[in-house]
Amino acid sequence: MRIDTTHRPWLIASLVILGISAAMYMPYAMTTPGGPKGGSFLGLVFGIVGYAFMLFAGLLGARKKVPIWRIGRAKTWMRGHLWLGLLSLPMILFHGGFAWRGPLTAVLMALLFIVVISGLVGAVLQHYLPRLMTQRVPLETIYEEIPHVREQLREEADNLVTSVFGALDGANADVDTMVAVVPLVEIEQEEKEHFRELYIGTMRPFFANPEAPGAELREPQRSAEIFASLRRMLPSSIHTVITDLESICEEERQLNRQARMYRWLHGWLLVHVPLSIVLLVLGGVHAVMALRY
Amino acid sequence: MPRRTRTTKNLAQRITRDYFKRVFPIAQWRRLLTIIFTVAGLSWLAWHAMAGNPAVYSSGPIKSSHAVFGQNCAACHSSKNTFSAKVTDQSCQSCHDGPVHQAQQVYTPDCATCHVEHSGQTSLARVNDVGCTECHSDLKTKSGKLRVAAKINSFGSGHPEFAAVRPGQHDMGSVKFNHQVHLKKDLRGPRGSNVQMQCTDCHQPQGVTRSLPYGQTEVTDQPGNAQVSTSPHISTRSYMAPVNFNEHCSGCHPLGFDRRFKDAVPHKKPEVVREAVFKKFTEYIAMHPGEIHTVNLDQRIPRRPPLPPPSNAAEWVSQMMGEAEQLLWWKTCKECHRLIYVAGMKVPQVPKAAINARWMKDARFDHQAHRLVNCESCHAKTRSSKDAADILLPGIETCQQCHRPGDSNAAEARCFECHDYHDWSKEKPVNGTLGIHQLISSRATHQ
Repeated sequence: MRIDTTHRPWLIASLVILGISAAMYMPYAMTTPGGPKGGSFLGLVFGIVGYAFMLFAGLLGARKKVPIWRIGRAKTWMRGHLWLGLLSLPMILFHGGFAWRGPLTAVLMALLFIVVISGLVGAVLQHYLPRLMTQRVPLETIYEEIPHVREQLREEADNLVTSVFGALDGANADVDTMVAVVPLVEIEQEEKEHFRELYIGTMRPFFANPEAPGAELREPQRSAEIFASLRRMLPSSIHTVITDLESICEEERQLNRQARMYRWLHGWLLVHVPLSIVLLVLGGVHAVMALRY
Repeated sequence: MPRRTRTTKNLAQRITRDYFKRVFPIAQWRRLLTIIFTVAGLSWLAWHAMAGNPAVYSSGPIKSSHAVFGQNCAACHSSKNTFSAKVTDQSCQSCHDGPVHQAQQVYTPDCATCHVEHSGQTSLARVNDVGCTECHSDLKTKSGKLRVAAKINSFGSGHPEFAAVRPGQHDMGSVKFNHQVHLKKDLRGPRGSNVQMQCTDCHQPQGVTRSLPYGQTEVTDQPGNAQVSTSPHISTRSYMAPVNFNEHCSGCHPLGFDRRFKDAVPHKKPEVVREAVFKKFTEYIAMHPGEIHTVNLDQRIPRRPPLPPPSNAAEWVSQMMGEAEQLLWWKTCKECHRLIYVAGMKVPQVPKAAINARWMKDARFDHQAHRLVNCESCHAKTRSSKDAADILLPGIETCQQCHRPGDSNAAEARCFECHDYHDWSKEKPVNGTLGIHQLISSRATHQ
């Protein structure tokens, strides 16, 4: 989600809420004997408001689970999640008087900080990475389908190679048995052997595991050098095939980039979501027990 | 030769139609971690619940003075068949009496309003100023009459000058004393030596057993002076012991009454002094009957008409008594005391010394805590004071040089530093209700 000018009303509303809360908190903190406490009237108000904001932020998950619910637009929910979730931190700090000395309260504050900070990291990533992905991964596909697409790319490359060089020993069984769709081009045996070695030794392992560290074709520069040497070595009649193979390698690299960016885009959720749930559950327990004691 | 084609159809065919039905690693891990963390959090609470230890819900560490029953929450958080187990004043008062502050106060807070437990290791008595200024910033009383300033916000704001040093105040003690003279150089000291007196030669905290250079070496308790406060927060060494003749003055100011005797008269009431002098002379003349006809007037007494020679021992004693009393009542005692002559009385009356051991009755001061500072830094007027009526206490500005409110690099300046909220003179004894086993039972369970 891009944080653009459409967020301005939320930003203003959040600043107003924060300003009002701070204006209420300061005289309360300065004039309360014994200092601000979560159990005082205003402390409870801040606690309830903070927890309500957290609950609302948590409901985004439920809203996503049931996208057909017609309760507000997804964008509105997301903005509410972002801004009210962020506001929950100062509200809870006001609630506890900036102190968290008990075991459960210390855990809750640590969780809240982690959740808010991970959320902010996520918001920044969600702001910048999609645009970066559009620029750097023009051949973007659905992330979950990447393995499936890769399988097809592998198949496509094998077909291209088979169409020119015939069945390649050492390639997978499908390729070996594949029938060439076009007449084979006359190529010197030595060059053919060299290409075969390169395809089986370098390209196919790259197609099989494009993210493997050390794969030469992962590097665009190295890839360009390899394909340039192939062009010098092989007759110009099959340069179109070399270009296609090069484009498959490029697509594989883009899928690599997409996978990496996707992990950044969604990896922070592995921290944010589970800890948010724990925070809500333990926060509920804290509310009940604090009212008792 | 085949070429790569990237038509929309081609691209669409790459995607399986049911891909969204499958659960992929990141979502799988998210679910798994959510379950693991939630179960871990609840297990942590359940583990404490099963151990019967609700300390996990504590809002912070308790004070060291309460640590012995720190795990036994019910010692303070008693619940009477209701959900709430909040600490009540009764819980506090089962161990501590908290006498009322002022009978005229219009608001009495709960104990926990000012004494906030579970907030670290600082003393519970170190309450924030707002606990005091909540009322004292705009003081109201039931009667409408005010005994103290109406608007005090802190030691630095609105606090009036100390009552003792306000204009027109005098030391009401009856003993005459000149600090300027006593602090002169080369003052004649005991045994004819010249001395330079120091403040500590006469002013020592109570209970200090140090030999005093200008008095008897043994320190004797002065009944009535030892107890300067009923507050449990005041150390016995906080205040200077009142100066007394035997310990501080007798070395330089012996109470001689006749050259025949090395002994001085006791520093007691005039009746006792007179009796002691009479006894001395009676015993002396009984042992030296030949001196009845010897006239030996004391040269310290101003010249006056000679008396006829005594004819017997009784007359001799009477004359000597007259001489001695003249010396004592008109010179020796008068040096320090204002004597009152009442018609028909044989001896003058000596008003009580009324040496004030504690000037600021509504506040505390600890000389021990200030021993780093030399005496004259605070008692600056001492060296020039000629009259015992001068009040030599420092004013509030002197204290404010170090005790600056809100300055973390300054000495403590909150109200509790000098003032007690509770009127400890009204303290009632508390009879404990818990046995040792009850007190520590919970702790034993958890060890």
